[in-house]
Amino acid sequence: MAKPDAKNPNVGVGLRLGFFSRLAQNAALRSSMLLLVLMCVWAFFYIATNGTFLTQRNLVLLALQTSIVSLAAIGAVMLIVTRNFDLSVGSAVAFVGVILALLTVKHDVSPALAVCIAIASGTLMGAWQGLWVTRVGVSSFIVTLAGMLYFRGISMIATNGATVAPLPRSLTGFATGFLSPTFSILAVLIALIAYGSLRIAEIRRAYQLGVLARTMPDLVRALAPPIIAALAAIWVASWQGLPYLVLLVAGCAFAAEFLMRRTRFGAQLYAIGGNPEAARLSGINITNAIFWNFVITGLGYGITGVALTARVSGAIGGSAGLFLELDAIAAAIIGGTSLSGGRGRILGALLGALLMGSLNNGMSLMNVPTFYQDTARGIILLLAVTIDQLSRRSSGGR
Amino acid sequence: MTKASNGPSAYAASDLPIGPILVATGLTKIFPGVRALDNVSFSIAPGEIVSLLGQNGAGKSTLIQIFAGAHPVGSYDGLITYAGHSYQPSGVAAAEAAGVALVPQEVNIVPDLTVAENITLNNEPTLWGVVDVGKRLFLAKKALAYFDINVDPGSLMSSHDLATQQLIVIARALSKNARLLILDEPTAALTEHESLRLFDRMRSLKARGVAIIFVSHRLAEVFAISDRIIVMRDGRICGEHRAGDVTRQDVVTEMIGEAASVAVRATGQKLGTAALEIRNLKVFGTENRMRVNNLSLIVRKGEVLGLFGLLGSGGLEAALALFGAWLGRREGVILINGIERTIYGPDDAVALGMGLMAQDRRDCLIGDQSISDNIGIASLRKIVRHGVLDVGAGRKRALTQMEALHIKAGSIDDEVRTLSGGNQQKVQIARWLAAETRILIMIDPTRGVDVGARREIKNIWSDLAAKGDAILLASTDAEELVDVCDRVVVMSNGRAIGELHGSNLTEKNLLRMATDG
Repeated sequence: MAKPDAKNPNVGVGLRLGFFSRLAQNAALRSSMLLLVLMCVWAFFYIATNGTFLTQRNLVLLALQTSIVSLAAIGAVMLIVTRNFDLSVGSAVAFVGVILALLTVKHDVSPALAVCIAIASGTLMGAWQGLWVTRVGVSSFIVTLAGMLYFRGISMIATNGATVAPLPRSLTGFATGFLSPTFSILAVLIALIAYGSLRIAEIRRAYQLGVLARTMPDLVRALAPPIIAALAAIWVASWQGLPYLVLLVAGCAFAAEFLMRRTRFGAQLYAIGGNPEAARLSGINITNAIFWNFVITGLGYGITGVALTARVSGAIGGSAGLFLELDAIAAAIIGGTSLSGGRGRILGALLGALLMGSLNNGMSLMNVPTFYQDTARGIILLLAVTIDQLSRRSSGGR
Repeated sequence: MTKASNGPSAYAASDLPIGPILVATGLTKIFPGVRALDNVSFSIAPGEIVSLLGQNGAGKSTLIQIFAGAHPVGSYDGLITYAGHSYQPSGVAAAEAAGVALVPQEVNIVPDLTVAENITLNNEPTLWGVVDVGKRLFLAKKALAYFDINVDPGSLMSSHDLATQQLIVIARALSKNARLLILDEPTAALTEHESLRLFDRMRSLKARGVAIIFVSHRLAEVFAISDRIIVMRDGRICGEHRAGDVTRQDVVTEMIGEAASVAVRATGQKLGTAALEIRNLKVFGTENRMRVNNLSLIVRKGEVLGLFGLLGSGGLEAALALFGAWLGRREGVILINGIERTIYGPDDAVALGMGLMAQDRRDCLIGDQSISDNIGIASLRKIVRHGVLDVGAGRKRALTQMEALHIKAGSIDDEVRTLSGGNQQKVQIARWLAAETRILIMIDPTRGVDVGARREIKNIWSDLAAKGDAILLASTDAEELVDVCDRVVVMSNGRAIGELHGSNLTEKNLLRMATDG
């Protein structure tokens, strides 16, 4: 590589395309690079813990530990793609939890109804913040920073700072329970077939329309990863089945990915993030799109809040979901979501959450003190953002 | 290196008025896969204005960037002598210190700083380590006076219009004692009148012995201002002329490399009913200043209607406003296909079948996203089946347009920012064709587009009009309007002051009306 050109982004494109920068450039490859890092980390912990790390039992535990951050990260990706931030998710989730716990514990509302009300309130909270961002025009950073403070504050006021517990058995059962191995494997297979047939149909259609010369490479690329993932999931499920919570995460991720990649709304969000003015001039109603973006994030508050509260069997206004917003944003960014908008995948964020979770889980197994864990996560975040920056620079033609 | 610099240092007697200030011999610069410069030799004398012509990719930018120190020594072959000495700037700053200043095409300013702060940016006069505010004002005043600009150095940069900002940027470059000034398309954003102002200044610099390299796409200007014209193509110099010895047609032929047939629209064909009509349009800017005053016009199906005016005369504002993209207040009636409509924002306009192609590509395209995505963004509705995006159909539609408009790219998945200016503009057209838009509003659509692509784009418009589409073309480029429009409405000070069509529609008439008004 010629040294001088590496400094100047204005010269031709080809010269700096070494193998690694080309890797870093391609979004799809970048998430597979993340996969590679994840594999290395897992291999390291496998050796360091004498195999304990990669047991079915520990992997289920890891998936459970990652579930809440994963749920929050899904919402974070959707907002960051449109250049918006959500600092309030931790507090909002705590507030939803308080609503759920107060309804079921103090007012004896039936669990099903309480869950509905809690999720509806979460959605309203999202809509409320969306109104401030889109109608009043306050930046999302400020709106959600304020939300972070007052949602937490209201949670404390409503519970007087006390823990509201225990939740009814039916709720905690959902968060800690497992779907039986047979049904888990069945669920995995159904999901695989549903996803697979959708992709096959799309690829065949592209071929018929003449926009794809050969179907085989695309079919392999589209189907190999989910098949491998499904096999891994079946292996894990064969132990005790899969936790309901993990199935919930998978369902939400699938729905969100579909919304982002296969609906008009999703395509508009990517366009808005890529260039808001261009999106506006091509006829997209930005205000509406961003508003609904926040509403969906609010739905995420509801689901995450219910899941978290049920998992710990009670609402703790002061500490539930503390720093969740930061973990969620970190997961999204490690997963390749670009802070400058227009780029980001749900799947990447899940991998990001899994990577951070793996570090925690593995280091705990090795009895590493928690402050080392935080340090490691911080460094991983920094490295991820650096890769993102480098890939931008090396592909920055003009 | 030392040996080589001996040769050209025969010019070392730089006091001689005749000797060149800069001589380059055998410059070759290779980017991977592209020979950007191929054995180019160039020289310029003090007080000489040399124009560089050529399509995008001809090598002009590379050449001037080498002079300005943007490509370090060693990354290219060849020798450069400046003022009699071997010239090997280590960077842009070193080149500026030596007296070679490049003013890039995009005005590079900090809008929220004052004019004086901008002029002395990164070069602040200090007194014991503290910025000497008084001296800064003095230096700024001197720089402005030298270039004959009447601007308060204490005013905010953002309070001036683009043309003045451009002049200030040039003044800044000159304040570093430039002996060779390189202007890269300085007039792209300027109106004819403002360009004339710039040319006056250039001539007075010339009289003071400053050498100027002038890069422009506008031939009329090039012929008006240059001593010599150098035409580049494919990294080589393919023509060098005294300005008086050559015709525009010849130069264009040299640039394109084949005989250029100027696209002239067969006007006077059958026009349909009114596709777009506006009545008494009033557009207000900040502080309720009226930008467009009672504009009424009709664009028929199959017609290309021009809206000509100098920058700030209201033409561009009117076009933005009727698309709903104007951010300020707006009054008036808009009829689409004869039906009165309310347009609150661009989304309404698009839903009613209008499309906007705007002057600044960065406002209209998503650079980091693919050609396919950029084309499809306005027609998502058309590829939704049962609420799901039909990705294959979207690609098919985009591919069809890409082929029809001859958009040159490696693949439809290439990011738009990697395309040339002309191809980017074609992506904009493709977007609206994919959306089956029948009313197109264009604002200075070929700004910064090279001659070849410009011709192609004009042909596309002609084809669209022949198909019965209505096109409203708001432009500050008279040449373009004359080439493609059936009629041109001339604006001045926010009012329509006249209309030209048929044989009266000439560049000269347009300019006369607009400047007289």
